[in-house]
Amino acid sequence: MGVELEKSGKDAVRVAPYYAGKYEIVPKIPIKSLRDFAVWYTPGVASVSKAIVESPKLSFEYTSRWNTIAVVTDGTRVLGLGDIGPEAAMPVMEGKAVIFKYLGGVDAIPICLNAREPEKFIEIVKALEPSFGGINLEDIESPKCFRILDTLRESMQIPVWHDDQLGTASATLAGLINALKIVGKKMSDVRITLLGAGASNVATARILEKAGADPGKLILVDSRGILHAERDDMDELMLKNPWKYELALKTNRERITGGIAEALEGADVLIAASKPGPGVVKKEWVRRMNNDAIVFALANPVPEIWPWDAREAGARIVATGRSDFPNQVNNSLIFPSVFRGALDVKATTITDEMMIRASQALAEYVPEHKLSEDYIIPTMDDWRVYIHVAASVAEQASRQGVARTPLNYDEAYVKAVKLIARARSILERLMKDKFIKPFPEG
Amino acid sequence: MTTVTFRKATLNDLDRLVDLLIRQKRLNEEFDPLLRLREDIAETGRKYLEEAIMSENSLVVVAEADGRVVGFLKADIKERLFYYPKTEGNIVELYLLPEYRRKGNGVKLLEYAVNILKERAEIITAEFPSLNEIATRFYTNLNFRAIISTYARETIIKK
Repeated sequence: MGVELEKSGKDAVRVAPYYAGKYEIVPKIPIKSLRDFAVWYTPGVASVSKAIVESPKLSFEYTSRWNTIAVVTDGTRVLGLGDIGPEAAMPVMEGKAVIFKYLGGVDAIPICLNAREPEKFIEIVKALEPSFGGINLEDIESPKCFRILDTLRESMQIPVWHDDQLGTASATLAGLINALKIVGKKMSDVRITLLGAGASNVATARILEKAGADPGKLILVDSRGILHAERDDMDELMLKNPWKYELALKTNRERITGGIAEALEGADVLIAASKPGPGVVKKEWVRRMNNDAIVFALANPVPEIWPWDAREAGARIVATGRSDFPNQVNNSLIFPSVFRGALDVKATTITDEMMIRASQALAEYVPEHKLSEDYIIPTMDDWRVYIHVAASVAEQASRQGVARTPLNYDEAYVKAVKLIARARSILERLMKDKFIKPFPEG
Repeated sequence: MTTVTFRKATLNDLDRLVDLLIRQKRLNEEFDPLLRLREDIAETGRKYLEEAIMSENSLVVVAEADGRVVGFLKADIKERLFYYPKTEGNIVELYLLPEYRRKGNGVKLLEYAVNILKERAEIITAEFPSLNEIATRFYTNLNFRAIISTYARETIIKK
């Protein structure tokens, strides 16, 4: 792993100046001579503008807006690097944008903002609305990410998604749905311990409740121990992190106090999204969990506990964030298809129900007969999974009345197939024709 | 939901009251750097509350749920030397644990105390840090208004 990390880091720095960025804009209209611009640009285009003035909704039909999203960050919490600022965040956002295209057929424009003040950030993103069909927020520090997401979600008429919260939460929920199937336990019955109370686990706790988990049986643990309604930093949380505060009030009905060890006593599920391990979660703590324990150790690059250690300590199902172990809980399984589905129906928002539907769709993509301790979540290799999830999300949006152009599952499926396949074949063609240069060996 | 009841505090409540008092002061600290907690707050707070419970001229009431003290209020009866009305019930502490908030319990606690205070006080005042916007909102909603301000600065002004 260490060696691999080092190699990919070296390669990335070496080829960064060679490619000088990861994407460019290519027209999708025929241009044979400058005369064509009389249609694409002035004077012809004025008529298109007039039509949009008449009916603003047409901006989703007459411009690229319907398939274009912004990937927006302020660079305050980038990967495991922390607050590295907007310029340094750009290569990461470019990478994300390209994943959007490759896996979801979504045109994503990276936008790194010099705006650390949440109010300013919110104002700028709001002002971007006319150009985009959706907003993907990325790598913004907690707790301000919660307020930014909630405010933008409420005030914008296009989907707003914060992937570090919702993407991870959604992928986690998918894995958990299948894990519970295997051990034969019900979401509403299980005791779930969440280790780490940052962006992803706060979002996970919120979505677990929506998906049927009993909030009183959720136990959150942060760097100060188990969260409960009478912890002595509650007033501070009320002022500084109301999202965590709300969770403290409704979770942990039994008022368990202490640390990770106490939180795992008798727990059915551990969802750890805290800090890189190993050894953050100890084997003896996992031993204290209930029978058929489910352990998600999601920290990267090293999970809070090695899967084999968790297994040895009695865990029946173990998932991590890593592709080289079974059961990779990865938000890349979620975000391209959630946006594909939302954009295909020109959704005005991504509701919690669409998000839960995405998780269910991802979970049900693993057929019953293949479902096993080592296969609870599809891998990224099978691109049809994205189409199934996208179509399910589109269908859910249509059912809920948040779709500008509602589609049923089959219609959405066909649309998603075409767009994702198109993105892939264009890429193949560009590589074949050497417009995209082969990866230089070094 | 558990019902919250109110009664006068006794010395048996002291341990719990000290904890609540510290929580309240810590909350004030969040609002203003000039309200930094002293390290001996536990001892001082205990003495302060003990004296108040024993005193004729103070009132300490507690909010109770499931047999546990979950909030409290302390007020002092004062004479106003220069003004009418002459007698004042001055609320100086009010705290409720988070899970008992936003359910009307704060108002009930206050009303319970005012009901006792009105025997000896014609006017009710409340003292709280100016920057504590939660307290400001609470009292403003209950028709309190600012009557006297305390302004502060450190003796030596740092440049």
